[in-house]
Amino acid sequence: MDLLLQQTVNAFALGGTYALLALGLAVVFSIMGLINFAHGELMTISGYTLMYCGIAGVSFVLAVPLAIAVAMIAAILMERIAFRPVRNSSGATMLVTSFAVSMILQVLFQNFISTRSQPVLLPQILSDSVNVFGLIIGVNKIAAIATTIVMLVFLDIFMKRQKTGIAMRAAAEDFNVARLMGIRANTVIAGAFALSGMLAGVAAVLWVSQRSSVDPHMGFLPVVKAFIAAILGGLGSLRGAVAGGFLLGFIEIYLAAFLPPELQEFREPIGLSLVVVVLLFRPNGLIPAASLKSEKV
Amino acid sequence: MKKILLASTMAVATLAAPVSAEVLKIGLATAQTGGLAGYDGPVIEGLHIAVDEINAAGGINGNIKIELIEKDVRSDAAQTAIAVQELADEGVSVLVLPCDADPSLAAIGTVTSAQIPAISTCASSPTLPMIGGDFMFANFPGDNVQATVSAEWAHQQGHKSAYIIYSPDSQYTTMPLYFADVFKALGGEMLGEDTHSIGQQDFSAIATRIAALNPQPDVIMTSSYEPDFPSMLKALRAAGVTAQMIGSDGIDSPTTFSLGDTGEGVVFTTAGHATEGSPLADFNAKYEAATGSASETVFNAVGYDLIIVVAEAVKAAGGSTDPVAIRTAMAELENVRGATSLITYKGTNGMPVREVTLIRVKDGERELIGQPSPTADLIPAPRMQ
Repeated sequence: MDLLLQQTVNAFALGGTYALLALGLAVVFSIMGLINFAHGELMTISGYTLMYCGIAGVSFVLAVPLAIAVAMIAAILMERIAFRPVRNSSGATMLVTSFAVSMILQVLFQNFISTRSQPVLLPQILSDSVNVFGLIIGVNKIAAIATTIVMLVFLDIFMKRQKTGIAMRAAAEDFNVARLMGIRANTVIAGAFALSGMLAGVAAVLWVSQRSSVDPHMGFLPVVKAFIAAILGGLGSLRGAVAGGFLLGFIEIYLAAFLPPELQEFREPIGLSLVVVVLLFRPNGLIPAASLKSEKV
Repeated sequence: MKKILLASTMAVATLAAPVSAEVLKIGLATAQTGGLAGYDGPVIEGLHIAVDEINAAGGINGNIKIELIEKDVRSDAAQTAIAVQELADEGVSVLVLPCDADPSLAAIGTVTSAQIPAISTCASSPTLPMIGGDFMFANFPGDNVQATVSAEWAHQQGHKSAYIIYSPDSQYTTMPLYFADVFKALGGEMLGEDTHSIGQQDFSAIATRIAALNPQPDVIMTSSYEPDFPSMLKALRAAGVTAQMIGSDGIDSPTTFSLGDTGEGVVFTTAGHATEGSPLADFNAKYEAATGSASETVFNAVGYDLIIVVAEAVKAAGGSTDPVAIRTAMAELENVRGATSLITYKGTNGMPVREVTLIRVKDGERELIGQPSPTADLIPAPRMQ
């Protein structure tokens, strides 16, 4: 029983990180139909910011908001430089553009920073653990769960109460009608990118605090996981992204925890098969986007 | 006008140059980009230092200059095969292949048919020369040798039980299986094993399972490297697991030494250690003079040694730049003094005999435990997959 509880805490922490990542993809996709594969590189940029802050002796408390801010700025720049020129092109063009941005950034990291992974100095407290009712829980797990909750609440309020948030929802519903109502496309899309940059930044801090290092390819795996989570939840739906992230986290942790040892080698294929099974029954994801027409998938 | 004059003078000068000064062409098909770049990069840095040093002294034997032809294989097996084919067409005498066994093996068809000796920068899988054939050489202590050294050390420390965490994704990351074999042969008890995939972000499920074991293992051995190793270690420590962690050469990197209290006491095997006055310390001084920054990893010296080995083979071949002659000479090399160790290929199938160094992380620095020779009988046979 204890073991189940403990693993559930692990699953919440991992699922929360996946949820933040998937949300970052979903925010942009819901508005402009772009799956931004360079989302992972925004995380890498955040990671490098943390690394340089550590080298410069900036305290971690200051480094975290700085790393998130840098990811937001990078996301806005990315939209301005790479995605605005192809905004109304076909989905394939935008997808290829995002791959190109991702690869260009990776090569820039390799050439101007280092091909090797670089250590990121983290406060010792993140490696410690606390005893909660007999469960030993890592501080970084608690941080991950708390951060996810705070971010989800913030997003909910932002989307429902803030003007920009409401405009984003309107744009996601029907961009053309939203524009007829006087919503400026540039502002809404830049806002969506800033928001996705912020989510990438927050996820990066959680991601890096587990692995203590940052390398040019760091963004690849998280963006793949985010993509799976977003599809699982329902591409373009924000609630779906959160649900998909948590479900993916639970599938991964429970398989790693409770699959018999001789099957552990096949953990990943089994996990992906479960994802496929879910999609067989719910082809548009767990919580499909309201605007998503069935022919789109 | 001046330029044209200069160019034509140079062209004439090149034509008129005496043919006696031979050139040894070494083809580098290594990863400058992609996932392996972080491992090939430091090796290539060290390799350049050796080449510059030898050429500045007039070349091998004072007359054979080394010319490097470099191609990026982008950490891709298919691209490695293509690059090696191109280099073979350019008539190189020696090939340098990427750090990992898998892309190196992708090139064996060309290596064998062109009959050019090939050395992997730092792959340590003992099966590489076995599968790769007569022309394939490695440049690092084998996985089975490293595992024997660490298992013997663990046994000597009085550790009775062990647990391994490995990844079936690559040859290298299955080193703990060798460790388990040796540890059992020494009378130790294996409490279990776990697998993970390379690049896996979260190790908390495994850590929780190990923390729930009763009794706890004395030792946990893994050959995972970044980013897996720090993540695994942190998850284990956060779950309350206090067992002795043993790793391998892949974690000989700055991240391991920056983990603070979490990394304290980790023991790993690697290719060498710079004690004062040692050849490795000399090399590190050269590295600092050449690049302006201190060497962060022993892989720099591993690259330097690669060229030393090639140069010795050329010397032993009587100054020949014929690939087959170099291959034959290289297979007979004995006790070549490299920056990291004495290196012997004689009597092996291409996996060199070199010292294995045991390092412990202490106060965020390297502490030398020793450079023990493994007991030959205990070294497990290479595991074919």
